[in-house]
Parts: sequence; C-alpha cells; structure tokens
Amino acid sequence: MLMTHILLRHRDIPDINKLNVYKSNGGFEAFKKVVTKMKPGEVTDAVKASGLRGRGGAGFPTGVKWSFIDNKIWPHYVVANADESEPGTFKDREIMESNPFQFLEGVAIASYAVGANAAYVYLRGEFWQVAKFLDEKIAEMGEAGVLGENLFGTDYSLHIYTHLGAGAYICGEETAMLESIEGKRGTPRIRPPFPAVYGLYGKPTVVNNVETLTNLPMILANGADWYKNMGTPDSAGVKVFSLSGRVRKPGNYELPFGTTFRQLIYEHGGGVQEGRPVKAIMPAGASSSFIAADEKVLDTQMDYAAVRTLGADLGSASVIVIDDTVSMDWVINKTIHFFKHESCGKCTPCREGTYWMMHLIEDIRDGGHSTDNVDLLLNVAKQMQNKCLCPLGEFSTMAVVTGIERFAQDFTK
Amino acid sequence: MTKQVTLTIDGKQVTVPDGMLVVDAAKEAGIDIPVFCYHPKMEPVGMCRMCLVEIGRPVMDRTTGKPILDDKGEPKLQFLPKLETACTNPVSEGMVVYTQSEKAEAGQKSTIEFLLTSHPLDCPICDKGGECPLQNLTMAYGPGKSRFLFDEKMHLAKMVPLGELIYLDQERCIQCARCIRFQDEVAGDAVLGFDERGRSTQIVSLSDPGFDSVFSGNTTDICPVGALTTADFRFGARPWELSSSASICSQCPVGCNITFNTRREAMSDGKIVIKRVMPRQNEEVNEIWMCDKGRFAYHYAESEKRLSKPLIRKDGKLSRASWDAATQAAGEAIAKAKKDLVVLASGRLSNEDLFNLKSFADQVEGKAVLYTHMGGGDLVSLVGVGQGTNFGAMGAGTTIVVVASDLYEEAPVWYLRVKQAVQRGAALIVANPRETKLDRYASFVIRYSYGDEVRTVHDLTKKGKVGDAFAKAENAVILFGSDGLGLDGSTALATACARALNDTEHAGKPNNGLIGVWQRANDQGAWEIGFRPEENLVGALKGKTVYVVGADPAGDDPALVRALHGTEFVIAQDLFETETAKLADVVLPAQAYTEREGTFTSGERRVQRFYPAVPALDGTRPDFAITSQVARQASVILEGTSASVVFDILAEDIKSFAGLNYAKLAEVKPQRPIVGRGDLYYGGTTYENKFGLGVQLSSAADRSEKFTLPRVQKVEELRPKEKKLLAVPVTKLYDRGVTVESAKLLNQRIGEAFVALHPSAAEQLGVEAGERVKLSLDGVSEDVVVKIDETISTGVVLVPRSMGLPISAPAEASLKAAKKVSVRA
Amino acid sequence: MLRELTRGLGTTLRSMFERPVTVQYPEEKRPVRPRFRGRHVLKRYDNGLEKCIGCALCAAACPADAIFVEASENTDEKRFSPGERYASTYEINMLRCIYCGFCEDACPTEAIVLGDNYELSFTDRREAIYDKNMLLEPAPAEAQTTPQKTPSGVFTRSVPDMKDPQD
Repeated sequence: MLMTHILLRHRDIPDINKLNVYKSNGGFEAFKKVVTKMKPGEVTDAVKASGLRGRGGAGFPTGVKWSFIDNKIWPHYVVANADESEPGTFKDREIMESNPFQFLEGVAIASYAVGANAAYVYLRGEFWQVAKFLDEKIAEMGEAGVLGENLFGTDYSLHIYTHLGAGAYICGEETAMLESIEGKRGTPRIRPPFPAVYGLYGKPTVVNNVETLTNLPMILANGADWYKNMGTPDSAGVKVFSLSGRVRKPGNYELPFGTTFRQLIYEHGGGVQEGRPVKAIMPAGASSSFIAADEKVLDTQMDYAAVRTLGADLGSASVIVIDDTVSMDWVINKTIHFFKHESCGKCTPCREGTYWMMHLIEDIRDGGHSTDNVDLLLNVAKQMQNKCLCPLGEFSTMAVVTGIERFAQDFTK
Repeated sequence: MTKQVTLTIDGKQVTVPDGMLVVDAAKEAGIDIPVFCYHPKMEPVGMCRMCLVEIGRPVMDRTTGKPILDDKGEPKLQFLPKLETACTNPVSEGMVVYTQSEKAEAGQKSTIEFLLTSHPLDCPICDKGGECPLQNLTMAYGPGKSRFLFDEKMHLAKMVPLGELIYLDQERCIQCARCIRFQDEVAGDAVLGFDERGRSTQIVSLSDPGFDSVFSGNTTDICPVGALTTADFRFGARPWELSSSASICSQCPVGCNITFNTRREAMSDGKIVIKRVMPRQNEEVNEIWMCDKGRFAYHYAESEKRLSKPLIRKDGKLSRASWDAATQAAGEAIAKAKKDLVVLASGRLSNEDLFNLKSFADQVEGKAVLYTHMGGGDLVSLVGVGQGTNFGAMGAGTTIVVVASDLYEEAPVWYLRVKQAVQRGAALIVANPRETKLDRYASFVIRYSYGDEVRTVHDLTKKGKVGDAFAKAENAVILFGSDGLGLDGSTALATACARALNDTEHAGKPNNGLIGVWQRANDQGAWEIGFRPEENLVGALKGKTVYVVGADPAGDDPALVRALHGTEFVIAQDLFETETAKLADVVLPAQAYTEREGTFTSGERRVQRFYPAVPALDGTRPDFAITSQVARQASVILEGTSASVVFDILAEDIKSFAGLNYAKLAEVKPQRPIVGRGDLYYGGTTYENKFGLGVQLSSAADRSEKFTLPRVQKVEELRPKEKKLLAVPVTKLYDRGVTVESAKLLNQRIGEAFVALHPSAAEQLGVEAGERVKLSLDGVSEDVVVKIDETISTGVVLVPRSMGLPISAPAEASLKAAKKVSVRA
Repeated sequence: MLRELTRGLGTTLRSMFERPVTVQYPEEKRPVRPRFRGRHVLKRYDNGLEKCIGCALCAAACPADAIFVEASENTDEKRFSPGERYASTYEINMLRCIYCGFCEDACPTEAIVLGDNYELSFTDRREAIYDKNMLLEPAPAEAQTTPQKTPSGVFTRSVPDMKDPQD
C-alpha cells in the first residue's frame, strides 16, 4: 500500500496546485532534464521500460504507442484526452483540479518525446471551469519559462492549448476527438489510418489519457525501474481507482496494481452500505461487463490480465459496486439510455441498435418481462457486436449481454 | 502499368490494380457486395456497415517477407474477429474474402434489420419505390420478418423542403451521408450537413436560399432511399410505368447525356408527356451527373403556347394556312430573292437542320448567318480540342485556362470536370473581370478589367509564373466565354486564345486546344457547318428576304425589330409565336428536339445523337424537313425525310465530320462505374448508356492541315468612358430564356432582373443592395434590383442576359435611383 | 329388352318430377359467397376520407394491365385521403379485368376490393372504362365526401391506425 501518492499528490501536499509549491516539490525538474539532457527516443525508451500502460481504458503500452508515430510526416501533435465522460470515472477531474502542473508537465514530456511543438488538452464541454483553471496554469508556466519558445536554452518550443468539447461522450474516442478539435462534428474516423500516421489535421498525433500523462514526470524523475517495481508484472505502477456505487466511501483511490477488489471496497471504500453483500462489480464504468461477485472475485488482484480472467476488462478502473438491493435490469436500463443518448449516429448497428435496446429494456421494465423480450434484447445486443464502427457501439452491449447471461434471475420476474 | 494484385473473393480469383477497394474488385469479378453509403465516385466512409465481409490476409513471415504456409501448403490466413467493411479496405496480395459466409450473411441481415427498424412503411407512397436500393437489398439480403415493435418507430417530419427543388423525408433517411459527401466532394458546394446526433441525426440545408447548389438534383439519384426526391417528379409515376428515350440536354454546350422518361397520361388528356429527366452515363462528357437546369427546365417543349399551324400574312394579319400554301409562299419568296436570301439560324437547331439551311443558302447563293453574340467558332474548328480529349483524363501536366467565362453559371458540368481535373493535379488559370466560383480552385487568378481580355491572353505567352504554367505545360486547354463581351469582343478574344495555343504548340493532340463556352447547345455545330455571324446584322438584313429559324432577333433587340421591318420578306420557323414570328410574312411551326431525332455538336466538339421521346405535336414538322419542303418550292432539292440521310450527306460534305454516321454515333462501350437497373444500389439511378457515346470531331490541327490564324481585330468601346457607365452582359444559369421560363419550379431561382454595381458606385447613386433602380439601355428602361459586386471596377455595371433587358454587347447605360440622386450617362 | 326400356324411361319420367335447380334469374337471384369477386369498389374510412393512396400497386399486380393510376398531392385545404398522396386518376378497364383479385391482395390500405355486383353489361366499349367516380363508394352518412378541408397536422400518416398486430 502506498503511503505517498504519486498522482493525487495534493492529498499529501496541500496547495500543490500553486506554482511555487509544485516547484519546491521537484516540479518541472523532470521536464528540464528531458529537454536538456535526453534525446526524444531515449524518453520513449524510458517510458517503454517503465511498463506504463494507457489509463483511459484500453491499457495499451504507452511507450509502444509513441513509437508508432510516423517520422516522415511533420508536424507532430500531442492531444491529452480530458474528455472523461465515462459514467463512474472522475479521476482525471481531480488530477486536473488539484495537481494540474504535474499533468501539464506530463503533456510537455510526451510532446518532447514525440517531437510535437503544440499540444492540446481536449476537455469535455462541462469542464469549462477546469479549462479556465488550466489556462491560468498554462499562463503561469509560460511566465515561469517552462512553456514557450526555446525552453531551457534549447531550440525546443512548446505551446499547450485547451479545447472544449460540447457535451458528447463520443468525443472521448480518439478520432472523434480529433474531428472535434478540427471544428467538425465529433464522429469517429475509420481506422486504418491510425492517428499515429494520420491524426490531427492529418498529421501524426499521439493521444494519451490525463492520468497516463500525469505519471510521466514521476517516471522520468525516479526512473523506469522505480515505476516497474510498483504494481504487478502485467500492469506496472499505480492506478487511480474511481470507486462508486453502493459503497460507504465513494471517491478516488490511488493504489498500486495488484490491490484486490476486497481491499479497494472494504479497506478503502468503507465496505458496502448497510453491510450488504456485493452482488456485481462493474470495473470499467458503464462500458463494463458485469462480474458476478463471489469470494474468489473479491480476492482477485486488480490488474489488466487478472480481471480478464473474470470475463471482464479493467478498462479505466472505474469500479462501480452493486449490491443485492439493486436489480440488474435497472442498471442496464441506465447504461442503455446513456449509450443511446451518446451514440453519434454514424454507423447503423449502434445508431439503430441502441435505440432498439432502449425500447426493449423499457418494455421489460414496464412489466413485459416476457422471456421473448429478454431473449430479443440479448439477441439484439449480440447482433450489434463485431459490426460497429467504433468501440462505443461494442461497449454499449457488454453490460446488456453479461447482465442477462450472468444475472438471468433479475430478468424473470 | 499499375501494380496488379490477385485476391480470391468467394472462391473466385480476380486480378485488379493495387489500391482498388474490395467492393470494387468484387464488382469486377461479377460479385455483388451490397452497399448503401459507398459510392464509386466518392471517398468511402464505412458508415452503413452493409458491406461487412470476412477478410483474411496471409500471415507474413517477418524475416522472409513470404507468407507462412499451413500443412496443406496454402498460405495461413488471419481473419479479424470482427467483420470488416469491404468499402474501406484496399485489396492486397493473397487476400481471401468471403461475402456469403454464414457470418457475412448474418452481418448483412442484421444491418438491413437495423435500418428497417427506423425506416417507415412508405413504399406505397414513396417515389423511389421500384428503383429503390433499400427495397432491392432488403429482398436480396434482409431477414424475412422484423422483430421491432411497429408502434415504437420514430416519427419525424415527412416533407421538409430543402429548398424548393428537393424535398427531404426525415423518416426515410438512413443517414448514409451520400448527399452531404456529394455536395462536399463532387459539387464543391457544402450546403448540406447533419444536425443532431444518434437516432435523431437529420439532414439539414446549411444555405439560404435552401440547398443552394445547381447540382442538387444529383443527390436524388444517389440517395439509396426515397428521402431526397425532386419536387418536379413528386408522385409523377411509378418507374416501371415509364418509357425511356436517350437524348442530349439542349440547355448549354456541355451536351450532357440524358434520358427522358415518358408516360401516356390521363392528366394530359391522353398525351404522352415527359415525366422527368434523368442523367445517362457518359464518362467522357458528364459522367453520371447533370445540372438542375437541364433536369428541371424541359417543360418548354410541351408548352401550350407551341405553334401547331403554319401562318401566312393576309391583309396585314397572320392567319392559318395549310402546309402546302405556307411552304409555297416561303419558297416562292426565296426563289425570287435568290442572292438576297439571308438565312438567320441559331445554335438551338440540330446539325441536320443547320446543314439543310446552309445547303439551301449556298445553292441560291444567299447568306447563312449565325444568330449569335459570341464569335470564334471557326477558330475552334482549326485549333479546337482534338479527338480523344477527355476532361476526366486531365491531371498533373495539364493547364486549363478559363477566360471570360463563369463556368458554374454557363456550363455547370464543365465546372465540375475542371474542378476535378484540378484536384487530380491540373493547373488552373482563371482570368475573369469579376469573382466567380471557380476562383477557389485556381492556381492563378487574373482579375483584369473589362476591355483587357486580349492583353490578358497575350500575357499567357510571356515569361513569368503564369506564362510558364501555360506555355511549358505538356497539355493546355483554353475555355473562352463571353463574360462582358459582344460579338467583336469575343471574336477578338477567341483569336487571341487560338494564337496563344498555336504558338505554344497546344493544338492538334488530345487534351489540347480551344473550347468555346457557347451560349447555345449546338453553336459549335453551326460554326462547323459554315454559319458565320454578321457583325452588322442590322445592315445585312436591309431589303433582304430573311429566313429566321430557331432565333428571335425581334424579341432580343429593338434595333433588330426596326431592321426586320426594313426587309423584303420574313419567314419565321420556330416553336413559339415569338416577336419575330409576329412580324413575319410566313410562320412555320417546327418540332421540338424531344419529338424527333438528330444530333448536336457539343462545345468539346463531340457529336451526339438524340432520339425522339414523345410523339410530335400534331401539325409540326422537323426543321430540316421544313427546309427541304421550302427549298423544293425554290427548285432546290434537299433530303427532307430522314435525319440519318441528311447526316450522311453532311458527313460527306464537311471534312471534320468525315466517316461519321448514325450507327457510329450510337456505338457504346462498357463504362465504369457500373450503373443501371441491377446495379442501382451501387452507382445510383443514372441510366445506363445503351444508345451512343458520340464521337469527337477532328480539328484542322488534328488533320495536320496548313492554316493561318487571323490577326486580332481591335475592338472599340470595350472600356468604360470617363464619367459614363458601361453596362456589360453576364450570363446567369437561370434566366427568362424561352427554354427555362416555362419551368415554374425554377421561378424562385430565376429571380428578378438585376444590375450589379461596385459598392462605391452604389453609394454614389445612393442605393443599397435589394433596392430598385431604373436601368436605361439601348432605348429601353426597366426597373431592376440592385446587387453589389466588389470585384468589378467602378465604372462598370453587370447586366444579365435573357432577363428582358436588351443587352448583347457592352453598351452605355444610365441608372436612376428611385429616390434623389441620379447618375446620368 | 323391355326392362332396359322401362329403366331408361323411368329415369326420364322421374327427372320430370324432380325439383329443378334452375334459378329464375332475374326475379330470383342466387346469393353470392363471402369471397365472391365482382365489381371493384374503392372504399373509404369512416370519416369519409378515401382509403386509396394512389400507390399503383394494384396496377402493378394486375396480370391484365387493366388498372391505370395517377397520383397527386393532398393538401389540408383539399384532402382526399390521409397522408401525402391520393389517386387523382383511377381507371379500371372492365373488359381487360379478369376478376382475379390480385389488386385486392396487393392493396396496402384495403382500398380496392372486389365486391358483390356482377351485373356489368354495357353496349359501348368506352363504357367499360370505369373511372374513379364510378368506383368510389359513397361517403358514409355521418361523414363528408371528399375533397375535405381538414385541420393541419392531423392526417399526416397514410395509414392512420397502423399498429403492430397484437395477435
């Protein structure tokens, strides 16, 4: 268990969101080291060696992602994905509000590593206050000589810009995000080509999650091995788990990978309200597959590989705890409505499928728990799988399929 | 030779060029992969998910670069767990595609089922029924039943006008975005877009006036459902009730290939009428597109104002007569006149009509005058674009010059073709005295003042960025128009262009030469046949016997009214009782081209056949036949029964037409993309071309003949004089010309007669855009609307042609504001 | 031989006294069966609006090409049928018609039905072309005849009561 936070450092160091406090706690030393003493390739290698994986949900090795960037086409861009619209995820907000400089330093390090001179922070439209706050912090960094032209006496320049979305979950998908930044409708592009080759304005772009980027200053300051030694062999480092649901103490908890569900829920989260048993766990927010909770599940370590053995993905580690007072049809009613509202409408299965699922679940909830309707809902959800243009459509079906298959009793009232 | 790739689709091996998409490769192999959002003329988006197929690629050994083999010796294949869209995947060597496997069929069934959950049960009332890709693909690939509860279907607005020409039915739209992408990529007018998201996504018009594009009709051809339909054909007929005939659009010199759909109707008292105009595929002329003017302005041929009886003037009044009497009266007058015969014809007529008229004039040693205000066609015969010229083949290495012409308004499909050539790498030089839509695609924009046309063209041959782009290009084409020019001005311009091309050796080979953006469809044909305009038309008519065919000089110019009064005898042959006909001595009713066959020569010098679509109006005869009958009365024998025979005689007589006959003009060859009944889900409802692609004429340069180009004649009065206003003619696509005016649907787009001023001129006059002024021109005063154009010079005002204002060449004008200040010229 | 004679004559005599099956038409008329296919009728809804929406599916289905349909647009000022479209021309050539009932089967709104009337003789071929006025049934007593003036936004759907079949 980590006593000192490396991401949610404001819990140990109050006022770390003030420039002088951040600086006096080693702030910007890593970026300075990177720019003055390291080559971009060396930074990428260090991040590869650290085992850092994307914290937005896909869990793709960050260093490997950076190495895909096409060095024949210029300029390069870095985009920080601060869209955070996944229900149950609220970690990036806390990081940006309370430890903004470490996040921005992470953006800067990533930009140097891939050779970008301009970086964008894409925030969901509802975060306009966070964006304003970040703008102030960016200005302070500019005045402090950490951002701008010819940093630290080298010929490396970097500017960071914030960009607000307008209320679309789909803009958290990286290609839809790029479309949105370009001023177009936020709908995903077909891939290939991938953003590493054809990204923002058609140029090679790296898109990383806020939490991923916030890890970078610590990794570069303390070394790749230091980071690799934390967590598990499969998943290195620490994760901010956003715990919510029927727990007594919901909130963000920064814990190393390998912490078990039991530890998260009971030691940190204060256990389930009214001492009720855990019925199901949604490890990745609304895009999850349900895990039917039992003793073995609770004792499973939380890392990408281990959770997969339970028939689910850890995703963004937005753990929603469901107890036995909650009926699964109520839960998937919520998720289906969410995905139907957020579907961008570009591809047929998601656009029509989420709409159809919404009607079916409402019919089921209204008392039509006939097996026909439930079977049809399962069938429609399965019919959408492996056909959608982007992961939104795919993930909208995970809760439905696992809910009906693993909790059939909730659908036969 | 592009790299070829071999792949296997449904067990069939097919070899196609590298870079081709799987869906197109399947078409080449004769295998249909169903699509909705994909269209062969646009970039793929992979949105509708209808083309989901299983794609397996050979696993390559990283070290050897060769495919890893399985124990049967076949390359090991890797299939993604997901189905992939055939429209976004390019082919690769050794690829294996299954389009009808269980998984693929399940994918196709599911996509149709999903689409039908929101699609209304509108087939009985939907205009698309019978030629609907959704209907066809549902029958071929859909599940038999829908499991969606009907009561929960979305209800949306049923008839949303996106502008008065195209209606949107929001419920039927399957959000394939073909219309949006067509407007963005092909037409270049991004006037459509999506609104809202998810299940509420709808098409909206982003422009005011709505759907402001002259290519809007094409979206109804490519829409795979009945969401976009034309107001013109609304509830007209079912596609299977229509007969088709191939024809050529007669509105502009592009010569788009079209199909007339006709039906015998009770609403029209049992007559066979044209219900709609559809494009016909000719990849070298109009591809599969056409503009809205051609699509909606065909009603003139069926107007009730059509003449159907010959008229002879008796006691000062025109009264009905028999054909025999009328042709006799006309023929005798011409027999008497002999050398004093002036045949005045326009490019509205077909090649056969014009040839008979020319032969007639020649045999009595009279004059064959082309009624036009744009010269230079004889130069086009010398250095015009050669055989094998195709805008679609132009790209890097070709320079296209457009001078004194607003292609978007004058020849919209050429605008599309030039734009696409530029997007393939061609260099574009746009020289115009005012801003036009083509400017944004130009590599060089030359803004000259009205009057400086010739100097601008001369500069093309001089050294410099622009000159080099023209002179050093491998291929160069010049399109010249008549923006702000009359007959002498355009002749001078054409001469300068011809010299520029000849001097830089850009003539006599394909994709090189001169193209005239004529004011009428068959002007080029008239020039080829030997008609020449008369500079002093008024003088040339004095005391003559005038045989006016397909022209209305009296309706265009008060000076010509006076001139016609000073003639000996006037014979008018036309569709309507025009102003000229009203003062004629004999009036002969002609057939519209929709009622007979013939040929037109397009501006690119392609001769194309048109076929009869509807039975001829009772009492009318084809122009060439009338000419033959009149000529007989003057003892001149001309073929008057078969247009085909007239054409054969023409081909023997005129060098550039040598070797052509109707059979050759009717030849077709397979074209790509495949369109037509079985493939309408793929290419749209454009008709297949089974009736002729036409043949391009050779130019004198092509035939390596020796010729000398004339010198440029200096032209007076093209410059605005001090303190005076110079009115210059400009062409608008929709005007009050006789072929457009009867299309009531286009009324709003035609708008009012206007005059365009520079902002400072408007300020001086004390008027703003939208207010009215009195424009006086050539003795005629009209109330017109003020428009502002910042790109012209202050002493010049723009006056549109064919809007009731007598302008055919630059002329002095005066404007008087409705209120206080007036500028007198 | 005599026996055969009596047998035969007996049959003849017996049949003289059997009840004849002859129906004394036109004083007596044999009732038609429920699915009898006779003269066509264009039906209306109870509110007086015509059911026919001018879709021409009957014309397409007709094996004898007997039906001719032209469609036009409804407006709320002048409404003939619910929805956007109605048949402005509807003609059936009764001489071509073979009374197969395919038109009835094809009709999506149950507008064209083959009714009970079979007394369709005429003396001039032109009289055999039945137009819409001859085919439309009269409006029900409580309702107006068409064209009607209707409030806007009410009759926007071509098949007003279309619902998912409950059985």
